Amino acid sequence: MSVISVNDVSHQFGATRALSRVAFDIAPGEQVALIGASGSGKTTLLRLLGLQQKPSSGQILVLGCDLQSAKSEELRSTRARVGMLPQDLGLVANLRVIQNVVLGRSGRRNLITTVRDLLWPRKADREEIFQILARMGVAAKMYDRTDSLSGGQQQRVALSRTLYQGAEILLADEPLSAVDPARARDVLKLLTGLSNEQGSTLVVSLHQVALAREFFPRVIGLKAGEVVFDGQPDDAQLSSLYDL
Amino acid sequence: MKPQAWRMWLGRRWLLVLTALIFAWCVGRLGTQVLSHTPGSDPFAASFRFFGAAFSPAFSDQNPSLPADATPFLSRLGSDLLRTLRYALIATSMAIPAGLVLGFLASEQWWPTHRSRKLFNLIRWPVRIFLSLIRSIHELIWAIFFLSAFGDFPLTACLALALPFAGTLAKVFSEIMDEQGRSARLVITASGGSGAQGFLGAILPAALPDMITYSLYRFECALRSSAVLGFIGIETVGLSILRSFESTYYGEVWTALYILIITILLIEGSGFFIRKRLTQGKPRRKEVGDDFTEEDLRKTAPRDYLLRFAGVAWVVVIVSAYQFGERLIQPMPGAQQAERLSRFLTKITPDPIAPEKSVSSWAEREAAWQDGAGELGTWVADLWEKPGAEALANTVAMSVAAIILAGALAMILAPWALRTLATRTPLGMVSAGGGVHTAVGFLVRGLFVVTRAVPEYLYAFLLVGLMGPSAWPLVFALALHNVGILGRLWGEVVENQPPGNARAVIQVGGGRLQAFYSSLAPTALNRFLLFFFYRWESCMREATVLGMLGFSSLGYYISIQKSFRNYDDILFFSLLGASMIVVGDLVSDALRSKLRG
Repeated sequence: MSVISVNDVSHQFGATRALSRVAFDIAPGEQVALIGASGSGKTTLLRLLGLQQKPSSGQILVLGCDLQSAKSEELRSTRARVGMLPQDLGLVANLRVIQNVVLGRSGRRNLITTVRDLLWPRKADREEIFQILARMGVAAKMYDRTDSLSGGQQQRVALSRTLYQGAEILLADEPLSAVDPARARDVLKLLTGLSNEQGSTLVVSLHQVALAREFFPRVIGLKAGEVVFDGQPDDAQLSSLYDL
Repeated sequence: MKPQAWRMWLGRRWLLVLTALIFAWCVGRLGTQVLSHTPGSDPFAASFRFFGAAFSPAFSDQNPSLPADATPFLSRLGSDLLRTLRYALIATSMAIPAGLVLGFLASEQWWPTHRSRKLFNLIRWPVRIFLSLIRSIHELIWAIFFLSAFGDFPLTACLALALPFAGTLAKVFSEIMDEQGRSARLVITASGGSGAQGFLGAILPAALPDMITYSLYRFECALRSSAVLGFIGIETVGLSILRSFESTYYGEVWTALYILIITILLIEGSGFFIRKRLTQGKPRRKEVGDDFTEEDLRKTAPRDYLLRFAGVAWVVVIVSAYQFGERLIQPMPGAQQAERLSRFLTKITPDPIAPEKSVSSWAEREAAWQDGAGELGTWVADLWEKPGAEALANTVAMSVAAIILAGALAMILAPWALRTLATRTPLGMVSAGGGVHTAVGFLVRGLFVVTRAVPEYLYAFLLVGLMGPSAWPLVFALALHNVGILGRLWGEVVENQPPGNARAVIQVGGGRLQAFYSSLAPTALNRFLLFFFYRWESCMREATVLGMLGFSSLGYYISIQKSFRNYDDILFFSLLGASMIVVGDLVSDALRSKLRG
C-alpha cells in the first residue's frame, strides 16, 4: 500500500508543459530525493503532491485522497497530515518562534482557535512545543522573534512546525538552497533522522546528486518534466544524473 | 541638426525635455504674473511685517480692544489645539476599523485559492472603485456636504475627515497586505488551514507593523486636515490663524504656526520611535542558563513594555477624546433632522432632476427624475463647457506645475540631506572636512521636516495674503509642502539602496554630488518616479480645493457655488477633480505593477 500514488500525471502552465506523464508510487516511511535542474518540474511536482494544485491530467492519490474528486473536508483533513517545508521556510518573521510553530496545526483548528493559539496558547500546547523545540535544539529561542534567529535555527523552527503538525508525509522544497556545503549534510541528516524516528515519508527536492545518493535510498530524476530515473543510482548511472 | 543627431541628443534626456514642455504648458495656462497686488498697496511692507513677526511670536492678545474678561490668547489657542487634536483622533479612530474592513475586502490575500479569482474580483473591484471615490473627494468638500446634511456639531467634522481617510487607509492597507510574501500563508493552507486562517496567521501579523506606522502617519495628516477645517468655519487652529491673519496680528499667527509645527513634529517623532521598535523587536535581555523550563522562558521572554504602554496610552487618549469636550452630537428632533437631510438631498440632486419643493417625498423625487432625466446630459454639458473644462485644466496645470517645482527642488536638495552622503564618511569612505556637510545635512533635513509639517492650505492662505490672488501662491504652497515629503521619501529610497557604483565615483576622486547625480539617483529613478506620481495625485486633490482661495480653478467654482448652496454643482466639480485622481491612480497602479515585474 503506497502513501503517494502518481498515475500518468501531466501538468501545464499555459503553453508550457511542466510535467509530462509522470508515474510512481511511494511507500509509507520511504525517503525519496527528487533531483533535476531548475525548471525540470520538481517544485510543480511537490505542489501537486501537497494537494495544492490539480494536475492538468492523470491522477494523484495522497494518503488515499484524490484531489480530483475529494470534498473540501476530506481535502482539509488530508492536507493536515502533509507537511510542507518551502524553500524560504514560510515563517512569519515578526512572530515569536512558538507562534510560528503553533500555526502548524491550523488544519485541525477553526478560525477562533487559531487566533486563541496565536495569542494565548494553552499550557498543554506550550509544553508540547517546548519538547519539540528541545529535540530540535532551539528550545531557548521559543519566545524570541523568529527573525532574530540564524538561518539554521529558522530551518529547525520550520521543521518543528511540521513535527507539531504531526505530518505523516514531509515535502521539502530545496532545503539546501540557502545552506553552505558544510551544513548541507547536517540538514539532510536531520531530515532523514526525523523521518526514521517518526516513520514518516520524506520527499525532498535537491540539486546535489552526490548528497541525494548518499542520504536517500531512492532517487527520482526529472528532466524537462519527465521522470528519467527512478531507483538507487549505481556508480555507472551517477554521471548521467549529473547531466540532469 | 539632422533628425538622427536630434534623436541621439534627445536620448535619455527625453524625460527632462518632456517635463520642461509640460511645465511651459502650465505657465502658459496659469499666466506669468506671480504677484498681483491692488494698485497703491505696498506688498513688501506687508511681507516684511509678516516675516518679521516670526521672530517675535505673541504670547498674549495683540488686539488692544478686547474686553478685560476675554479668554487670554494662549488659553484660547490651547483649547483650539485640543479641539484640533480631538477631531483628528476621533476621525482616525473611525477611519482605521473602516479601512481595515474595506482594505481586507480590497485585498486578494484572503482568497482561498487562485481559482476563485473571478468570483472574488466581483467583491474586490466595486470596493476599490468605492475607495477611489471617497478618498478622491477632499475632506473640505465632505465637510461642506456634511455640515449641510447633518448640522454643525463636532461629529460632522470628524466624519468629514474619517471618510476620505478610511478610503486612503483601506487602499494602503490592501496594498501592504498584497505585498506580503505568500509562503507562510501557503504553508498554513497546505497543512489544511483555510484562506482566512492563512490571512490571520501569516499575512496580518506580517503586515501589522507597516499598518500601524501608516496609521500613525495618517493621524499626523488628520491633524493637518483638522486644522484646515478651520478655514470653512469649524473651530480648530486653522480658524484662529485665519482670524489673526485677517486682523494682521501676525505675532499670533506665528505662535499658532509654531505650536502646530511642534505638535506635528512630536507625532512624527513618536511614529518614528514606534516604527523602529516594531520592526526591530526587542532582544532578549535575561538569559535562562542551561537548565530551563518552558515557564522560565515564558517569564523571561522579551517584552516591549514601552510599546505596550504606548498602545494603552493611545487607547486612553482616544477614549478620552470621545468622552471629554463638547458633545459630539447635538440632539435634534427626528422630524427636524429628516427635514434637513431632505433639503440637502434636494440641493445635491442635479438641477434638472431635483424636485421643486426642497422637502419632498420619494414619490416626488421619482417623478422629478422621470420629468428631467432627459435634460441631465445638457446640464452636464453646460457645466463642462462653462466653466468645468477650463477649471479642470487650470487645476491640473496648478498641480502639475507644483509637483514639477517640488520635484526639481527636492532633486537639488536631496544630496545635501542624505545621511549616507552628508557626513564625514560619505558612503562609508574616508573624506576630508565633512563637518560642513554634516551641518548642512542636518539643516536641510530640518527644512524638509518643517515644510511638510504645515498643511498646503495654510501655506496657500498665507501666500495669497502676501502675494495677492493668483495661481502662483497656490502652486508655491503645494510645492513647498511637497518638497519636504519628496525630499524625505527620495532620501529614504537612496539611503536604503546599496551604494554600488557611487562608491567607485568617490574612489576615483569624484565628489558627493557627482556620486549622487551620476550613480545613486539614476539607480533609484524608477522609485523616484513612483513617489513623484503618488505626490502628484495628492497635489491634484489639494489643488481642487485650493482654488477656494481665489483662482479660476475647480475650487474657485466650488467656493462660489457654496455661497449659493448649489451642492449639485459642487458635486459635479468635485467629481471632475476626482476623475483626474482616479486616472492618476490607475497610471500609478500600472507603474507600480510594472516596477514590481
